[in-house]
Order: sequence, then structure tokens, then C-alpha cells
Amino acid sequence: MSMRRNFFDLARAAVVGTILCAAGQLGYAADEYAYDLVHSSVSFKARHLDISWIHGRFNEVDGKFSLDRENPSKSTFELTIKADSVDTANKARDEHLRQPDYFDTKQFPTIEFKSTSTKVIEGGYEVTGDFTMHGKTKKVTLVLKGGKEHLFKDVKRVAFSTELSLKRSDFGFDKNAIGPIGDEAIILIDCEGMRK
Amino acid sequence: MPDPVLYLQAMGFAAFASAMLVFIVVGAVHPDTLKWMNVASVLAIGLGLVVGYVVLAFRLTWPPANGLDRLLLVIVPATLVLELIVSCWSEPRRIAWLMRFFLAAAIPRILLHGSVHLDGFHGEAQLLLKTVAELIACSVLLAGTWRMLTWLSERSGGCSIPLALALTIQCAGLTIMMAGYIKGGAATFPLTATLVATTLATSLAVKHSSITATIGIGIGMVELFGILFIGRFFGRISTGFALTMLVTPLLCWVSELPTLRYRKPWLVGAVRLLLVAIPLVVALVLAKQDFDRAMTPLLGQLITG
Repeated sequence: MSMRRNFFDLARAAVVGTILCAAGQLGYAADEYAYDLVHSSVSFKARHLDISWIHGRFNEVDGKFSLDRENPSKSTFELTIKADSVDTANKARDEHLRQPDYFDTKQFPTIEFKSTSTKVIEGGYEVTGDFTMHGKTKKVTLVLKGGKEHLFKDVKRVAFSTELSLKRSDFGFDKNAIGPIGDEAIILIDCEGMRK
Repeated sequence: MPDPVLYLQAMGFAAFASAMLVFIVVGAVHPDTLKWMNVASVLAIGLGLVVGYVVLAFRLTWPPANGLDRLLLVIVPATLVLELIVSCWSEPRRIAWLMRFFLAAAIPRILLHGSVHLDGFHGEAQLLLKTVAELIACSVLLAGTWRMLTWLSERSGGCSIPLALALTIQCAGLTIMMAGYIKGGAATFPLTATLVATTLATSLAVKHSSITATIGIGIGMVELFGILFIGRFFGRISTGFALTMLVTPLLCWVSELPTLRYRKPWLVGAVRLLLVAIPLVVALVLAKQDFDRAMTPLLGQLITG
């Protein structure tokens, strides 16, 4: 009776141990990173009169990503930009851009990206996800270049860069209000993450 | 970019459509049927607005995505339907006013739907209290101004009150446009044109203009409040500016002074319009100065001196 009980205890311990080990393995497989605002930037450029470029940036950005090196399709990326933090180095223009003819920041305070699928490509990842701006959500695919790890003061860091071209009219911006600033805008994202 | 020719075309077509509908109803139905004239007024304003926004190629989205969409697709139609019901249904006046006050109470909440201004509902108690107080204050302002103007119209009638409202709506639109919200300002051109055309057409067609003026006042008041509210909460106009413009039509009450009240109707109407026009001109001059200061560099003009 006692031998049989010992056998069952041993078997139970083995099963629990295996499950815990597996869970531990999974936990280590995906690294969680927080967006480092100090060493990252989200900027944009748009054509003016179709002869030059106007540059701007968003000063308040938040985000996170998880990297699963063993199973990259499980990696996820999220980014939230505060539309109110638009900065084109001209206060009057920034105020104008916050109004309903453009970003309508009181109605649509954030611009967001949330990945839905990820695959490895040479030199980085191809990430498809939902991009929400001005209350409209569209599927976009980002080519993230980078992904090299660096240990700095005991904190692991990973960085990516990407460029996204989109038409403002696809996101509910009024075509009549587009005026001298072109419909197409290019968004440049340089993101450095710190492991949590 | 603002297109003055397009705005004038939209105003012209909207006014023509509204006036024609009133005259067709007068021709088709017995002119003394006031109920039908009120119905015609409501339909004329509705038709004029549709025509005006089609000419402007206004792109509105359903479900409404922003404050202006909600004003033009929910609030203005709701006001038109309400006034249509009130004019067709000979119920006690108190019930009509109860319905109007209910609408006035709902308008600020509808206009702010989904915006950061309602974050108070998900935040601390103090923030919630502030949000609720703001909504109540705005509703009381709208209902109070609406009731005061209707009361004046019932006392002394005439078409000058809806015309004063139309003037104020147009100035509010220009101010909002100069503050940088072009589409918000452009929305007022069909509103003004239909209100003026319907008011003048009904005045010409029938002698009972005081009853039709009540409808014009209701719709005009909601439009004025809505556009100023959007300009204040989503655009860049200040609270002081919005409040001043909202209460400016109340200057029509000056005509109730004993020295003016029993003068000829055209004189009383002219005095009312003049009194309302004075603060509006001052407001427009200030808005233009602000526009020159803030927007000139953006329009590519060199600053000299």
C-alpha cells in the first residue's frame, strides 16, 4: 500500500515538474519590451504644394512589444501615439492640425497600431496589424528592420525602424480640407525597447 | 481650402429650394391653413439644407464620427421632426416645451459623444461632477435662450428674430472658420440661407408669420448653439466668444422698451437687426485680428516690420 502511494506521489511530482518546466521554457521564449521614449521617435512628412516636404513629429508615444525568437509568429507589437502631441515646430500650425479638419484630437485622441500577425524576413520582421487613425481602422503591413539585441547597464535593448506611407483620405480626413498639404503622408517610426 | 464661390452657390441653391417649397405649398394648399404652413417651413428648411450640403459636396459619415456629423445627421433632423410633430399635433403648449427642453438637455451630451470631454464619466468623482455641471449649464443656456426668443416672438412677432438668428449663425461660422476649423464654418452657409429664405418666403406668403417664426427660432437656435458648441469644444474659439455669440440674439428684447415697442413693425425689426449686428461686427473684427496674427505665416505671407 505504502509503495503504491509512493509511486503515485512520484508520478504526480514528475507531471507537475514537467508542466512547470515547460511553462518556464515558454516564459523565457518571449521577451517583453517597453517603448523607450527617450531613444525612440515617431515622425512624419507630407508634401507641401507638391514641391517640398513638411516634417513633424509626435512627442508623446507609448507602446510595447514581445519578441519570441523561437516562434516569431507569436511576437506582438503595439504602439499608441497621442495625436495632441503633434509638433511641426510651428505653434499655429500645430493648433491647426489638432482641429477637426485634420486630426480632430478631442474626438480621436490616439493613433494606434496593434499587430495581428508577424513573420520573419531577412533583416527583421514583417508585421501586419490594425492601424487606427481618425477613428478609422485599416490593415497595414510594416517592415520592421533591425531587431539586434544590446545589453546596456544590465538592461537588454532591441530596436526597430520602419516607414509607412498612407493616404489621409483613406482614414476619413476630409478631401476638401486637404488643400496645399498632400494627401499622402509618410510616417517614420524608430523604436527602441527596454526589456521589462 | 475655403472656396467663397462654392459657398455662395450653396447658399443660392439652398435658399432657392427652401423658398420654392414654401411657395408650392402655398399654391397647393389653402394659405390660411397655418398647420400646413408650419409643415412647409419645416420641410423647406430640411430640403434647403440637403441641397446646400450636396452643392458643398459635404462628406458626412454614418454612424456619425465627429461633432459636426452628429449635429447635421442627428440633432438638426431631430429638431426638424420635433417641430413637425409640434406643428401637426395640437397638444397643450406645455408638452411641446417639455419635448423641446428634453431635446435641449440631450444635445450637449450627443455632441460630445465619444470625445475626450466625456472622460469624466470614467474618472474621479470630482471630474465627473465637473463634466455633469458643464453639460447641465450648456443645456440650460440653450433652453433659456430658446424660450426667451420664442416668448419675444409670441409677444411681438415679426420675422426679424429668425433673421437675427441667421445673422448670428453666419458670424459664428465665419469666426469658427477664421479660428482654423474650415468645415465647421462652411456648414453654416446652407443653415443661414435656408433660414433666411424660409422666413422671408413664409412672411411674403402668409400674414401669420409669428407662428412660422417660432419654428425658425427653434431650428435656428439649435443650429446656432450646435455650431458654437462644436467650435468651442472641438475647434479653437474661446468660451467668452461662444457665450457672447449665443446670447447676442437676446438683444432683440431691447425692442420691448416702451419707446420702441409700439413703433412700426419694420422699424422695430430694423432696430433688432442693428442691435444684434453691432456685437457681431466687433466679434468678427477681433476674430480677424486673431486670424491675421496666427494664420498669416501659414498662408505663406511674409511678415514684415
